[in-house]
Amino acid sequence: MTREYKLRDTLIKISNLGLKFGDKAVLAGLDAEVKDIVRPGIITGQVVGILGPSGIGKTQLSRILAGLQEPTSGGITVGVTQKPIEAGLVGFVAQNYPLLRHRTVLSNLELAAHNLHDAKAAAEKSMDYLKLFDLAEKWDQYPAELSGGQRQRVAIAQQLLCSEHYLILDEPTTGLDPIMKDKVVEMIRKVSGLSEENTIFIVTHDIPAVMSVADHLWLLGRVRNEKGESLGAKIVHQYDLIERGIAWEPNPSLLPAFTDLLREIRSKFETLN
Amino acid sequence: MLVGAWWLRPAFLPGPVEVLQAYPKLFSMGLVAQLYISLSTNLEAILISCAFTLPLAYLTVLPAMRPLVKILSKTRFLGITGFVVLFTILFGGGHALKLALLVFGMSMFLITSLYDVVETIPREEFDHARTLRIGPWGSVLEVVVLGHLDVFLDTVRQNAAMGWVMLTMVEGLVRFEGGLGAMMLAEDKHIRLDAVFAIQLLVLAIGIVQDWALVWVRHLLCPYAALTLERQ
Repeated sequence: MTREYKLRDTLIKISNLGLKFGDKAVLAGLDAEVKDIVRPGIITGQVVGILGPSGIGKTQLSRILAGLQEPTSGGITVGVTQKPIEAGLVGFVAQNYPLLRHRTVLSNLELAAHNLHDAKAAAEKSMDYLKLFDLAEKWDQYPAELSGGQRQRVAIAQQLLCSEHYLILDEPTTGLDPIMKDKVVEMIRKVSGLSEENTIFIVTHDIPAVMSVADHLWLLGRVRNEKGESLGAKIVHQYDLIERGIAWEPNPSLLPAFTDLLREIRSKFETLN
Repeated sequence: MLVGAWWLRPAFLPGPVEVLQAYPKLFSMGLVAQLYISLSTNLEAILISCAFTLPLAYLTVLPAMRPLVKILSKTRFLGITGFVVLFTILFGGGHALKLALLVFGMSMFLITSLYDVVETIPREEFDHARTLRIGPWGSVLEVVVLGHLDVFLDTVRQNAAMGWVMLTMVEGLVRFEGGLGAMMLAEDKHIRLDAVFAIQLLVLAIGIVQDWALVWVRHLLCPYAALTLERQ
């Protein structure tokens, strides 16, 4: 497999992002960007893993990335044209895979697709996604009739139909057995490979799972002043898994580089809070 | 078991046979007409209460509406009896007065329950609607109105049952037109317990049918509602 690649347009840019609730600083001066990864002859999306200990502000960062929460300072721009973030530009699949319970699977997807397409095109596009996610037979079922995995796939399809290219997955592998985890990782690879612009953020505690699918990892850690008071969280380490020879490998977890990085991240985790 | 226990009743209570024997007399006294009056008044009151409280409850998604609804909700502690004179002045007595008292009594309980439904909808559901680029009023429609229609219908069902308790009370307060409540009070006054029990049994039967009908409506409109229940 070729490892040749180029970084092109900036797709997501986070500039000096800060969030405060009253006196409590949650995020402070976060800077990062995601660039379009281009590989000859292979459609390659971007997968960024966001790691950090519990309570560090991952959920708040996800909400800001999804346009659901206004930051106190700084901002995020999205897409080739670098539009300021607003709700709907970046899809957000929460841990409980939210869907509209009163709508069938197809109706859930059509509602999302209506934002970008007329009724006929929305119906066609929705059916295409159902086929793509092996859900065509479930089109007339309600979310309550689906298994957890099917529900997750519908939720991802719905968000992709609405946001088109950008997606945040909150803890997509938590509570899953190893076989299901592999399936989710496979699905993330599949989604990221649908379009050059597709960019997926995986917010998780599950370091090995995210390492086996991401091309970059962001590690959130708390910044403290001399008195030990928290100034908020920021990205304290960034890992390029392409440069380390881990990304895009068929069985990355078997590589020594994978084990080394896993050990490195785990050792850093203790110092992040 | 209940019928068996009834058979072993204390001597002063009428037995099942005596209660059944009370029906012919009640029919001759116009039970069907009284039943129609009570049924139609109750239905009218349920519909008006829903028309009044549902929009108000939905509007509590706007913070400005919440204090008003909270104040209205507190008035459920006030007894209906205390409003008879005021409502007589306002509505002029008769059917309108009966209806006003009933609508007031039902609405204050209904708005409390409906407000609780809206208030307990998690933020995640509204966030989900926002990620789908659904606007504020579209979110109210998708998340609150359609997304919780089954819960609203269930709340209406519980309050419609409470309506029968209030109806018999209101019909006792305002005797105009009669109704089952007025009929029951008249029988009570003459200590004809067999007739009182017969009317109570009729109210119970109608209540069960009303409950069943509203469950059926919910099942028809919200087929997804029962899918996650244990009994499924």
